[in-house]
Amino acid sequence: MIASVVATLAEVGGDFQRIVDEFAAVPGVEIGDVGHDARRVPMIIESPGSSALEEVTRRLQECVGVAFVDVVFVHFEDESASEPAANPREIDKS
Amino acid sequence: MNGDLQPTTDAIQRRQFIKATAMAAATAVAGGTNFTLPVLADEPAAGVQWEKAPCRFCGTGCHVQVGVQEGKVVAVAGDRNAEVNMGLLCVKGYHVGAALYGKDRLTRPLLRDGDRYREISWEKAIRIIADRIEAAPERFAYYGSGQWTIPEGYAAQKFMKGGLSNNHIDPNARLCMASAVTGFLATYGVDEPAGCYDDLDECDVLIMWGNNPAEMHPVLFSRVIDRRSRGENVTLIDIGTRRTRTTEACQHYLEMKGHGDLAIANGIAHLLIKNGTYDRKFVESFCNFKASDDENPNLHGKPISFGDYKKYLEPYTPEYVEELSGVPADQIRMLGDLFGNPKLKITSLWCMGMNQHTRGTAVNSLVHGVHLLSGHFGTPGNAPTSLTGQPSACGTVREVGTLAHALPGGRVVANEEHRQQAEEFWNVPTGRINPTPGYHTVQMWESFCTPSNQGGDIGTIWVQVTNPGQTLPNLNKLFNPKGNNRAGLEDKFLIVSDVYPTATTRLADLILPSAMWVEKNGVVGNSERRTQQWFKMVAPPGDARDDCWQTIAVAHELFNRGMDGMKDRDGQFLFDVKDDNGKSVPVWDWEHYYDVNVDEHLFEEYRQFTRLKHKDLAPYSEYVQARGLRWPVVEVDGQWRETHLRFSENFDPYVEPGKEIQFYHSSTHDDRAQIWFHPWIAPAELPDSDYPFLLCTGRVLEHWHSGSMTRRIPELSRAMPGGYLEIHAEDAAAHDLRNGDKVKIESRRGSLVIPVWIDGRGQPPRGTVFIPFFDESLLVNDLTLDALDPFSKQPDYKKSAVRIRKV
Repeated sequence: MIASVVATLAEVGGDFQRIVDEFAAVPGVEIGDVGHDARRVPMIIESPGSSALEEVTRRLQECVGVAFVDVVFVHFEDESASEPAANPREIDKS
Repeated sequence: MNGDLQPTTDAIQRRQFIKATAMAAATAVAGGTNFTLPVLADEPAAGVQWEKAPCRFCGTGCHVQVGVQEGKVVAVAGDRNAEVNMGLLCVKGYHVGAALYGKDRLTRPLLRDGDRYREISWEKAIRIIADRIEAAPERFAYYGSGQWTIPEGYAAQKFMKGGLSNNHIDPNARLCMASAVTGFLATYGVDEPAGCYDDLDECDVLIMWGNNPAEMHPVLFSRVIDRRSRGENVTLIDIGTRRTRTTEACQHYLEMKGHGDLAIANGIAHLLIKNGTYDRKFVESFCNFKASDDENPNLHGKPISFGDYKKYLEPYTPEYVEELSGVPADQIRMLGDLFGNPKLKITSLWCMGMNQHTRGTAVNSLVHGVHLLSGHFGTPGNAPTSLTGQPSACGTVREVGTLAHALPGGRVVANEEHRQQAEEFWNVPTGRINPTPGYHTVQMWESFCTPSNQGGDIGTIWVQVTNPGQTLPNLNKLFNPKGNNRAGLEDKFLIVSDVYPTATTRLADLILPSAMWVEKNGVVGNSERRTQQWFKMVAPPGDARDDCWQTIAVAHELFNRGMDGMKDRDGQFLFDVKDDNGKSVPVWDWEHYYDVNVDEHLFEEYRQFTRLKHKDLAPYSEYVQARGLRWPVVEVDGQWRETHLRFSENFDPYVEPGKEIQFYHSSTHDDRAQIWFHPWIAPAELPDSDYPFLLCTGRVLEHWHSGSMTRRIPELSRAMPGGYLEIHAEDAAAHDLRNGDKVKIESRRGSLVIPVWIDGRGQPPRGTVFIPFFDESLLVNDLTLDALDPFSKQPDYKKSAVRIRKV
């Protein structure tokens, strides 16, 4: 599964490099070009599945100094068909 | 040799390409640049075709780019070229594509056979519906939705009012924004906000009245938070009945009791007058004053003088407002000072908190009144703006008028001139449209659940694109009797068109599988008057078909049987669609439905109505090119131009030069808006010794409304797997409750066993509890009250008296 996200930092400047380094240390994360804006960080996340993607996004969000993480792209072609809800009302067609 | 373990070179290239596209999307959003995702039809390594569409879920109207490959949606990206979301999506939006692929999609028409269903053909399904209508057209009702696209709603509206002479058509939006409609009508004489989302970028103060946009409209909320993170000074104020994620981001949280908003708005007006800080010039130039006419309650009320208005407000001192609302007097003074400061730009937002309210029309009018009285109106950043919860509550319900009393274009059935206009546009005989309003939602379902020999005169309801078995209030009165083998209801027949099994299909007699979102063409209208279009991109599963086609197919079956109502003045079929050569296309035949663009045909016919109340829409082709346009859209020098701000000379093409502000649909016909006085009145149900808690219901970030789509998206379902009861820690301790314990919660109408969450997503104050309504296995609407606002007929889901005990 491939997704891209943009992390927005709580403050302009601040611990920018430390935060970017922290992002880069998360497995599956690839940092994009951050040269033009010291407040928003574009990243790609490669993960084996949606659960792992959620976990990576959560780790990014929890980094100190991050205001929010927005997902802007998700490629989910490799995912199997969505499961029904936890308590679906099955229709008995038998 | 690759075998099964080694990816092929093509696969590697393709993966690299997807990564490059993903990074391009993120870089563009981060850098604030426009971009277009590459169209990859000729790219063997990728083969993804990108097209634009608005998100399927809420009323924000974010645009997404949808990646399609080999007939399947494989990717979704925020659309950087869309003004609404500028490339961002919320957690629901970026999973929207997966909503198409739940394993239990409905794919064949199903007819109830005892306790089971059997598959039947579409031909038979259409005949069954036609039989029911033909036998008793006046006992038929259509229950629609703010998720109907504009063409779908327009077709249903024309079928009912222009065909069957039957006004029993109403939408689920009656349950979510009807009070916003009546508030706008009572104040300006015309529905929908004057402002738009641009005000969020301009305001100095944003006040959320019973509104939680951090969860319900997260992309809009992040737009404001983003301003603050850029160093801009924006004051956020949350006026609410419980702490939410929105509260966390606000500088001020004003915790009020239910109906406290009525007192707070009056308290602000009181202070503006007492302190002499109201905008005298604005008021004298552009406003009248009104109060309720208790002897003849209606949306026009009775005129009052400024002196009367001042006198009515005299009791609403900050201390009295504190007593009524629970909000400390100094916070009321703070609001009074903010509105009294002409240098500030103030935007108000609201949604269900003010609308699902037995005094919803009143509180909507009062908040408009505070903005008018203070002059915080008509310039960028100064706007009272209601938000909607569904993607086309505005476009389809409010503009097409799929309400029991309405006609397209802001017309009403009770007005003879309006009926004649519609009959002319529809080319149906004079007198075809019934002048008596049909049943509003609660009335419709109450009649359906009442035996025919006891006055229950609705015999058949056709539900499209909504889930009333979960979302109606007081389900044990308004829905569940259908399934309880209640004597006398044997003749009632429920038809449901949907994409998944739901709490509503559970009791259906006939289930029709529908196409959804990009499986069909569509046009919708969002909360800021923006009309948005998309094309069909993938085929629906199995034999699922468009809702609009279903309506047209039934209409044609009735036409074939000779029903006069399905003919126009010339004896032609009501939905006759011609191709470019002027030849009729049999669009009632599914094989030919997409031979022409039926949406475009219906949209262009509907567009005639939009000019009647200055809600002008552009030609369909303009929306194909745009990421939506905000009406009125007028042609200037060959260009179609949208309108950011209504009633203001600098923005609105319908304001006469020199007028500055002109409320050109004023109900007093003098270009003035109405500032209303309404007194504080207690909620319809209050806690007492038997039922000591007040229950509020609502939504959560991860699930959209009844969860029938989002609960089938594994990521969202895992993030928020089930319903829960939020309770204050001290109330929990008093009942010996810990997180995860189960309680039985009871109201006078029903009961539910549900797990407890203390200090969870939201924090209700003592004496109140909250339950989200997304979980169909925990139907909170078994408990809720069906008391209505007297004008909008919208129920109050926010204040039901309940009791709890540990089980």
